[in-house]
Amino acid sequence: MTVIPKSLIETIRNATIRARGRSIAKRHKKIMTRPAAAWTARAKIGNDIGTALSLVLATKGCSYARGEQGGCTMCSYLLDGTERQPSHEELISQFQGAMEKLSDESKPLSVKIYTSGSFLDTDEVPQETRDEILGIISNDDRIVEVVIESRPEFILDEVMVQTRAILGERQIEIGMGLESSNDVVRDICVNKGFTLAEFKKAVEIAKQHQIGTRAYILLKPPFLTEKNALDDSITTIEDAVKLGVTTISINPVNIQKFTMVEDLWRNGLYRSPWLWTVVEVLRESYKNVGGSVFILCDPVAAGKRRGTHNCGVCDKQIVNAIRDFSLNQDASVLESLDCSCKASWKHTLTHEDVSLLVHNDRKLW
Amino acid sequence: MIQGGMIMVRFLIGRGHDGPARIGQIEIGSIKLKSPLIMGPSSIKPDIVSAVKDKMEYETPSIISLGSIFSKTNSFNEEEINSNLFLLPSLPSASFLKDSDITAVLELQLAALVEVNPPNAIVRIPSSISTMLLEEYVKKFHEQGVSGAIFTFNGDYGRNDLNNILLKTKLPRNWLILSTGKILPATVPLLFYLGFDIIDAGLGEAAAAESIRLWSLSFEKIDSKDTPRFCACSACHNHDDLSLLSQSQLEEVLRAHNSIVYRSVLSECVSSMKQGKLRWLVESFTHAGPSLTGLLRQVDNQSYDFLEEFTPTTGKSVLPLIGPESYNSPAVRRYREYLADRYKPPETKKIVLLLPCSARKPYSDSKSHKRFSNIIESAIGSKNRAIAETILTSPLGVVPRELERGFPLANYDIPVTGFWDAEETQIASDLLVNHMKKFDESTVIIAHVSGGYLDIVKNAEPNISQSIIYTTGDESASSRNSLDNLRETLTDVTQVLDIKGGRPTSLEDTLRATADFQFGPGAGALLIPPDAKVGGKVYGTIICRLDKEQLCAFIGSTGHISLTLAGAQRIAELQRYWVRFEGDTVKGSTLFAIGINDADDAIRPGDEVIILDLKDNIIAVGRSEMSGREMCDFDNGRAVSIRHKVG
Repeated sequence: MTVIPKSLIETIRNATIRARGRSIAKRHKKIMTRPAAAWTARAKIGNDIGTALSLVLATKGCSYARGEQGGCTMCSYLLDGTERQPSHEELISQFQGAMEKLSDESKPLSVKIYTSGSFLDTDEVPQETRDEILGIISNDDRIVEVVIESRPEFILDEVMVQTRAILGERQIEIGMGLESSNDVVRDICVNKGFTLAEFKKAVEIAKQHQIGTRAYILLKPPFLTEKNALDDSITTIEDAVKLGVTTISINPVNIQKFTMVEDLWRNGLYRSPWLWTVVEVLRESYKNVGGSVFILCDPVAAGKRRGTHNCGVCDKQIVNAIRDFSLNQDASVLESLDCSCKASWKHTLTHEDVSLLVHNDRKLW
Repeated sequence: MIQGGMIMVRFLIGRGHDGPARIGQIEIGSIKLKSPLIMGPSSIKPDIVSAVKDKMEYETPSIISLGSIFSKTNSFNEEEINSNLFLLPSLPSASFLKDSDITAVLELQLAALVEVNPPNAIVRIPSSISTMLLEEYVKKFHEQGVSGAIFTFNGDYGRNDLNNILLKTKLPRNWLILSTGKILPATVPLLFYLGFDIIDAGLGEAAAAESIRLWSLSFEKIDSKDTPRFCACSACHNHDDLSLLSQSQLEEVLRAHNSIVYRSVLSECVSSMKQGKLRWLVESFTHAGPSLTGLLRQVDNQSYDFLEEFTPTTGKSVLPLIGPESYNSPAVRRYREYLADRYKPPETKKIVLLLPCSARKPYSDSKSHKRFSNIIESAIGSKNRAIAETILTSPLGVVPRELERGFPLANYDIPVTGFWDAEETQIASDLLVNHMKKFDESTVIIAHVSGGYLDIVKNAEPNISQSIIYTTGDESASSRNSLDNLRETLTDVTQVLDIKGGRPTSLEDTLRATADFQFGPGAGALLIPPDAKVGGKVYGTIICRLDKEQLCAFIGSTGHISLTLAGAQRIAELQRYWVRFEGDTVKGSTLFAIGINDADDAIRPGDEVIILDLKDNIIAVGRSEMSGREMCDFDNGRAVSIRHKVG
């Protein structure tokens, strides 16, 4: 593998820090007793279809993003954070507020707890708070599945023991942003700050406690051509499955405010991935690993200029097919898709690799 | 550049110059390709195919991209390595990077040389690199045997594209230079003019994918809304109505058509270069859009020295100077600079007669100038030796009669309307002010001009110390009244100034002015000393002899002086326009660049040059075929066509 000089990593880190610098001042005042967001949706829960509650706790935000490494190149979740750390009572009130959305729902339910950071980071969510939240879930028999998110460094054996003890027999899955199985891509293009070996260790620790892991795959980090991005995600998904993750979640990059990716995009040096690329990753990966894991994709801002998009004509149809596939894991819905813009995508796949010019949306005609 | 005793890639630059553009031959293994070339994906059937690394479906030779540093690696066998060109891996969005990281990107490319044969490798230059870092790394790559570079254009004609061009001017002249990215057909002449040898037409494929038919200056969306334009190209001519084709059929037709447009524009470039009209073609094409025109103006402004270095000083074809892009084109600006730096008025001149230019060149052959000449002759006879006839024109400004037969004065052609824009007037005024400083303060200026020409003089007047007499009133310079007025004025002024008649000096004046113009200040006095015998006709040939030995000849049809060995001897002390040859004697009628040890970097293609041996003996004279720097840098190519040689 190509050895990447340190200075390049530094530059990208500095550019990320620069982009982030402006964002912290822009954070809105949040009401500390309400979650940042909460919504319910039909979802696959085990082999059934049920209701999933997704909730984003308002915390002071990801400690990695706040730290001196600058956070990830595409992530502005820090913007969702609060200006001070909420108290234990405030966090519990946030969670209970969100749970009200499930009051009329029946079994099977799934609860997904996000924090725009790591739920298992005690700096963000103190252990006392975490235990109480998990305790509330353990008292609700309708909930059969719990999904949380964390960076791998917080997945420690004693934390897994505690979590399993509280939640009992429920399905537990921890989502982790692997992004890419290529250390260089993860380092340079994402500035992620952990290695594949560390990720692997976290997967193994969780597994020892029958806790599943969901790998978030970042489709098209900056500094990759469309073709690089396509290849990288397909390879990453295969690698992640080999490491033993239980679910694959593909996240096509969307251009978030105050990120380095946004700076690149404004200069015409970045385009979020084509929906065709998403479809191709799903098709190929389903061929490679389908059946052994769930492959999910719920693209943010799909069809918009800042999100994964095609020509504007076919976007809706393709996004629907992607959502359909995620729900039913039936790849046939991806087969019949077509649009005249597919030729432009194919051109991009090769000509971008010849020219190394980012084929952005700007037209010369 | 030799591996296994065989040269894998060689780039030979052919004869002929019209700015930095060149034709040449690229040898890859045993295959020889004539440059310039259009490159592109195989779907558009280009001159040379560009392919990506993990697809092995390419023809030989191809230009194979190793992609980005994140592209999948795929190794090549020795035959593949030797029979293709390889674009070294870099980063997309590399123009985002600053020098500190560009170093990293270039180091990665140096490291990637192990995968390919360095002479077959092309280095990618990020547009944001500093000139200093570029020069440092060009040296490093050159030491490894690399002699090709590629620049990525984004099609905005903005900072990125301008930087690419400015950086390109810093690369060795004998490197093979490629351009890739978004390049429209209208950009091809500019890129070729600047010396790009391979131009990417990949945009033609992108356009076809969106049902866009490209034309040399514009584009057309093919759909049912409008009747498609007429096109007789081999791709389109079988289809009466393209809008009736299926999407995939249409795409195929458009790929072929778009490719044809690129190739036909490029062939027009090559043909224009051979006719000495490339600059005109470039200027014409930049009117495809304001930003492209802006780019040319920026390039003219910021890289004049580079463009001028490769612009010939002689030429036979008509040089159309049509719009504002011509005002500062290299041949035009160089003329004005040479006039200011090199021209010295003959001492006999006491009166400066300002005249309007004529459409016919040289001006002397025109009806109006013949009339002026008759008036002068009939009014003052042999006292005319005191008159410095000086023609005002755009965009060259000021032309002394002695230089009217030279390049580009006898060649240029401008639209004549009588309207002058502010920039033209200013250029001519400034030059006139400067020009008049070379004359004594007692010199009298007779301004026999009207309309826009008159505005030039009026505009300059506050900054001119000599007195000015106007002779036209409101009428044209050729009108009866104006001519009568001129006759009277000439008679009066010569009387007042007490000017005496004498032997005509026009032959000597022409020779000396031309010699100064060609070889720099002082050359005229050395080459045509007072005791020289000068004979001939200004419109034919003027020969200058000293003690019966010919020193030089002026050819009226070119306005150019050719030297004899004896003439070369007389101006050798100026130490200008010399070429140092590594041998003792010159054989044959051509001196090749390989034999040249050093040369005056002021030499331009078309200049008369003096060939010295290593001990500074003059061994030949001739006409340069390339610039002085190229003579030193190139290992091949015709450097000088020999006119006379020792022995």
